[in-house]
Amino acid sequence: MLRHCNHQRLVFRHKLYQLREERDMKPDTFASLVSAMLYEKRFGPYFCQPVIAGLGEDDKPFICTMDSIGAKELAKDFVVAGTASESLYGACESMFKPDMDHEELFETISQALISSVDRDCLSGWGGHVYIVTPTEVTERILKGRMD
Amino acid sequence: MTKEHANWSPYDNNGGTCVAIAGADYCVIAADTRMSTGYSILTRDYSKICKLADKSFMASSGFQADVKALQKVLSSRHLIYQHQHNKQMSCPAMAQLLSNTLYYKRFFPYYAFNVLGGLDGEGKGCVFTYDAVGSYERVGYSAQGSGATLITPFLDNQLKSPSPLLLPAKDAVTPLSEAEAVDLVKTCFSSATERDIYTGDSVEIMIVNASGVRREVEQLRKD
Repeated sequence: MLRHCNHQRLVFRHKLYQLREERDMKPDTFASLVSAMLYEKRFGPYFCQPVIAGLGEDDKPFICTMDSIGAKELAKDFVVAGTASESLYGACESMFKPDMDHEELFETISQALISSVDRDCLSGWGGHVYIVTPTEVTERILKGRMD
Repeated sequence: MTKEHANWSPYDNNGGTCVAIAGADYCVIAADTRMSTGYSILTRDYSKICKLADKSFMASSGFQADVKALQKVLSSRHLIYQHQHNKQMSCPAMAQLLSNTLYYKRFFPYYAFNVLGGLDGEGKGCVFTYDAVGSYERVGYSAQGSGATLITPFLDNQLKSPSPLLLPAKDAVTPLSEAEAVDLVKTCFSSATERDIYTGDSVEIMIVNASGVRREVEQLRKD
């Protein structure tokens, strides 16, 4: 959502971290950073629900979501956010299974996303899917209903 | 200058989810059996499905007192129809009757979210979905109630039948077999039970086909 103004701030904070620590930030650390930044605005929040995903120590997958004041929700299977979040819960709950490889994961998440946003008038116009593996990050753009 | 609001409401929401799927020669109507109020459970064993005619079943979520009253009105109207016409009401006829009955109380509605399922005049499955004041549409499948937003996108994805979202509207009957459809319904309820606090305990499934009606009950998580 309204993340543009904070994108630069987060890039800045991460670059500083890299300079000081001489390594990349782990996803769970980054999540704590985002959570803190959102809670700073506790009484005048950003209208923003982030979803964070990445590979942590030993390439262990990490996912989490937050509400607009930074309350973290960690999960092992899936996390959702947005105006279509209820639909996404239903779709993900039915389609998810553990230990999928990245091809199957891409298929599953794309189907869940497209089915859910098609039922929400405020969401849609396609989708972006990022698959993070130990060797690379691929971005794929989904074609969806343009209504 | 704020309007004075009543501190008593005639309505309550007893929760629950209803689903129906139409097939080429069958119809599956299902509803969970949990009845709640606020954050409490009233009972784990309440049927939300009512047989209105030989080939017409109505599943309703919402305020169960209004649902019970609605079921009574429709059942008695059907009995009168049988006396006058010497035959059972067809499902499309019952669909229209339900719509009219709901709109009759347009300014003090039945707090009932209904799904009507059965076989039409040609023996094909039909599902009609309603809002609280009687606006209705024949569709290939529908979900109503607290778990509806969780189930509907999944049904859009799995049913391989024209979704109500497609334009131009196509005749909506799923190519799935009866066994596949029943399995799909069970999966939907398992998923909805995980994420919706008002859905669970068990799911009652009615399968209507040319040979008659079959009833199945599947246990769900009780938390």
